[in-house]
Amino acid sequence: MSARIALSWALVAVPLAYGLVETIRTASKLFTG
Amino acid sequence: MSTILDRAVPSFLARDRIIAKPGFNRWLIPPAALAVHLCIGQVYATSVYKFSLTQSMDASSTTIGFVFSLAIVMLGLSSMTFGTWVDRNGPRAAMAAAASFWVVGLLVGALGVGTGQLWLLFLGYGVIGGIGLGIGYISPVSTLIKWFPDRPGLATGMAIMGFGGGALIASPLEGRLLSAFDGDFDPAAATSTAASAHAIALMFVVLALAYAVFMSFGVLTIRVPVDDWKPEGFDPSTLKQKSLVTTSSVSAANAIRTPQFWLLWVILFCNVSAGIGILEQAAPAIQDFFRDTAGGDSTVAAAAGAGFVGLLSIFNMGGRFVWSSTSDVIGRKGIYCVYLGVGLVLYALLATIGSSSTVVFVLLAAVIISFYGGGFATIPAYLRDLFGTYQVGAIHGRLLTAWSAAGVVGPLIVNGVLDSQGEPGTLTADAYRPALFIMVGLLAVGLVANLLVREVSSKYHEKPTEQRTPEGSNA
Repeated sequence: MSARIALSWALVAVPLAYGLVETIRTASKLFTG
Repeated sequence: MSTILDRAVPSFLARDRIIAKPGFNRWLIPPAALAVHLCIGQVYATSVYKFSLTQSMDASSTTIGFVFSLAIVMLGLSSMTFGTWVDRNGPRAAMAAAASFWVVGLLVGALGVGTGQLWLLFLGYGVIGGIGLGIGYISPVSTLIKWFPDRPGLATGMAIMGFGGGALIASPLEGRLLSAFDGDFDPAAATSTAASAHAIALMFVVLALAYAVFMSFGVLTIRVPVDDWKPEGFDPSTLKQKSLVTTSSVSAANAIRTPQFWLLWVILFCNVSAGIGILEQAAPAIQDFFRDTAGGDSTVAAAAGAGFVGLLSIFNMGGRFVWSSTSDVIGRKGIYCVYLGVGLVLYALLATIGSSSTVVFVLLAAVIISFYGGGFATIPAYLRDLFGTYQVGAIHGRLLTAWSAAGVVGPLIVNGVLDSQGEPGTLTADAYRPALFIMVGLLAVGLVANLLVREVSSKYHEKPTEQRTPEGSNA
């Protein structure tokens, strides 16, 4: 069950992390752009 | 009609097929809910291709903007119409229906873009997709509340955070897809280079297929607890000790007859109207606030404006989780006093000292938007406190009409005020003050409504023999 929980959370966390990193990259232009 | 719709549900999607077996871990439910919300959150990631769509469909920005407004209006209408059906047939059937509508809506929209038929885009994305949004938005809410009776704010905050997170994922993904399908398209210069209709249509198709797979994971994973299930160590009697929290049940039909429902409707409407006003104008607003004279140059670059929008997206998403979880500690009424009371002070500060420095402006706007997101995420838990878990999904669905109304009224206020102040690109901070003070007034109305919320009268409670799970028998 623990592996299933980890896999399930990874499935939603990975795309969310991708979106977060990309957005932070865009947001950094607020301070550098 | 409900009987026909109920019969249309295949048996493998039925509620009695997804009752969790002993030993099932409730922490599998939030990822299932997130899988749906992360997909439907795409509706707030339209800025990447909106300009391209106006060019390829030869339509005005207002017309294309209306497609997305229509989707939000349909979200409210469908969540209101299908809320009871969702509660009765369970989350798996609801998630499957949401995935079907959302995916078909995107595919029909792609056909519309590919063939240059604007009406197909309206029908596909706006109407069919919008129905998917409404069913998908409410589909996991009551299930999460039942799995997390000890922390309903945390549970709904996690799911509804996904709606904000969906836009964060879709925006960069859409840019990359458009670049892949149209080599001339540069997502960093979306207002100067339009992607082709072919590229936009293909992007919709790829998103539809990806969302079909992702939402299927949610459909297959979701489970409902057996009747009277409770987490280990949780004593339901402790709920009674908290102010405004009921252990009784109120049906959706009765809930809309209570003043509490309409007070919450006003609260959500005011909070969302005020927040949307900021979000709609975020990129031009930060430039306008730091323009010394009307028509002059802004000290904030356009690229920084895009960065500001990104920052607000993060705070919008984070606020949904952080503030909703906080409401489990300080109570729902308390947290809405913060959203509305502190919020109106922050709006007043934005109007008066917001132009003093970009740091002050950004900080104020970021906290305001976190309250906006928090307001969305906490409302299901507030409904659960007042009306119980019996038909909380259906009641939530009816309440979301406030979102639809705010989606129209909020931008109307801001755009109306700004239009009367001058041409876009020439405005200064002064032009925004009337709109911001209207938002202060709106939040004050919401605050009064929140202070008026009391426990629901027992005359609206279901009698003990009538108290049951929405499907009639769950065990």
